[in-house]
Amino acid sequence: MMNPLVLPQSISTQVERSQSERAEATASAAAAAAATSYAIHLRDVTKSYRETGFSLRNLNFVVKQGDFLFITGPSGAGKSTLMKLVYGAERPDRGEVRVGGQNVANLSGHRLSLLRRRLGVVFQDYKLIARWTVAENVAFVLRSQGVPKDEIVRRLNPTLKLVGLQNKADCFPTQLSGGEQQRASIARAIVGSPRLLLADEPTGNLDQDNSLQVLSILKKLNSLGITVVVTTHDLHLIRMGQAPVARLQNGQLKMISTPGSEAS
Amino acid sequence: MRRSALPSPALKVTFTQMQYLAQETLRGLQRGGWMNWAAISTVTVLLFLFGISLQTSWQVNSLLQNMGSQLEISAYLRPNLSGETLQKQLGQLQTIASVELLPRDTAWKQLVADLGATDLQSATEALGQNPLVDQLKVRARSGEQVPKLAQMLSGFPEIEHVSYLNEVMQNLVQLNQGLGWMGWGVIGLLTLTALAVINTTIRLIVVTRHQEIEVMQLVGATTTWIYLPFLLQGLTFGLLGGGLAIGFMAIAHHFMAQLLITQPAFLQSLAQNLQLTTVQGALLPLLLVGFGSFVGLSGSFLAVRRFLVR
Repeated sequence: MMNPLVLPQSISTQVERSQSERAEATASAAAAAAATSYAIHLRDVTKSYRETGFSLRNLNFVVKQGDFLFITGPSGAGKSTLMKLVYGAERPDRGEVRVGGQNVANLSGHRLSLLRRRLGVVFQDYKLIARWTVAENVAFVLRSQGVPKDEIVRRLNPTLKLVGLQNKADCFPTQLSGGEQQRASIARAIVGSPRLLLADEPTGNLDQDNSLQVLSILKKLNSLGITVVVTTHDLHLIRMGQAPVARLQNGQLKMISTPGSEAS
Repeated sequence: MRRSALPSPALKVTFTQMQYLAQETLRGLQRGGWMNWAAISTVTVLLFLFGISLQTSWQVNSLLQNMGSQLEISAYLRPNLSGETLQKQLGQLQTIASVELLPRDTAWKQLVADLGATDLQSATEALGQNPLVDQLKVRARSGEQVPKLAQMLSGFPEIEHVSYLNEVMQNLVQLNQGLGWMGWGVIGLLTLTALAVINTTIRLIVVTRHQEIEVMQLVGATTTWIYLPFLLQGLTFGLLGGGLAIGFMAIAHHFMAQLLITQPAFLQSLAQNLQLTTVQGALLPLLLVGFGSFVGLSGSFLAVRRFLVR
């Protein structure tokens, strides 16, 4: 028999709630007001791929502002798909994906771009442009948003300092270790001062030391008020992270641990 | 306290945006490599032919207008017949304003001089005899009478052949129309080729920059912001092609002018008549650059339209 869900104070998942309960929650003005304060709010989200047979089914899930959450699960469980739904690279077949109160599924073009400026994304493969230096890669975010040059310079150094790359600003990605590249990727994700940081397997290509460095930076960012969601299957990282963990398996998302309890 | 002379924030943002677009356009062009030259040279050839066709059309039209104001009919007599009697006879007709005789000897002297030869006797000996006939230049009182008068003149037994400008004009108009259709056909095909080459070039640049584009999309750059530099690259192809075509046309004019200096006087006077007016001279480069810009923008828009319109 499955263990009952233990929901942390700030994070809750709703699994298989009855229609009446859901209707009540929707009708409640208080709940509606609260929804806008959620960093992420998934309601009845379904996403499936016919080709592979993969699917996420009726996900109900919230992450509040300022939370730090690990999402774990086996390869192919849909962790990256879940992230893509949040930053609007994929659209749900059904349901709502709300980020900062806005339904991402309804956004496209200019409005989606504006939403993405409010969140940062970190990838397993870093996605750094090899021909550019670290500084250019990080500044690119601001340049591509039309931020003036002096403002870019003003923001660049503190950001690089935050991830410990102030001395590597002029290095090219190929001159950096994997950990440094990932830190550059984090710097790029946060230079635009996002309120939400999504890290998709950020330590997937890193050794333990570098993984812990990356984790330390993510925790530091969280302590500054940034909501952080990390997908990973690195159990050591989860143990060291001391943060709530949700597990994605068979298309369902379940809370499996909170700080103080052991991750399974 | 002294007020700051710094530009306003809005101005700074606009400047940054302009600078960014210029840099991105240049960066895209660097990525295009030799494909850029394929695109620019195709546009150049297209615009050069477009310019030549347009200029020729203007010149022939102007020539036709000049010729249309003349009402003269040329009647060529049978060999060895003198035109003096017929000149007097025709001079009495009401519909004729004047009849001028151009004797065969005078006409031969003129022709030999026009051809640049100086020795009349040796030129005549070379052909055995003067090959020309007496010619009557008949001027009608009005343009409408010219065809009827020509028909009447051709009925005289002394007259072997009659020609008047309407006939020449009709031939010229037909030739101009034929050349025009052919020219526009070639320009149409070349326009399609230029569009295809620019489209392919821009698509290749988009493919080589897909990683940057992906990152730009993820960090919140708008679609317009991402793809505007590609449209500007197409515009650059058009502008450069237009500039080069104008340059080549200027070089072609220069060589034609050099060539005409050594040509007979009648060719030089013909070339004088073919000069463009000031307005046409100013309009031609503008049209070349405008058409080039249109082709460049259209080609690049075709390449990125699926991203821009979705």
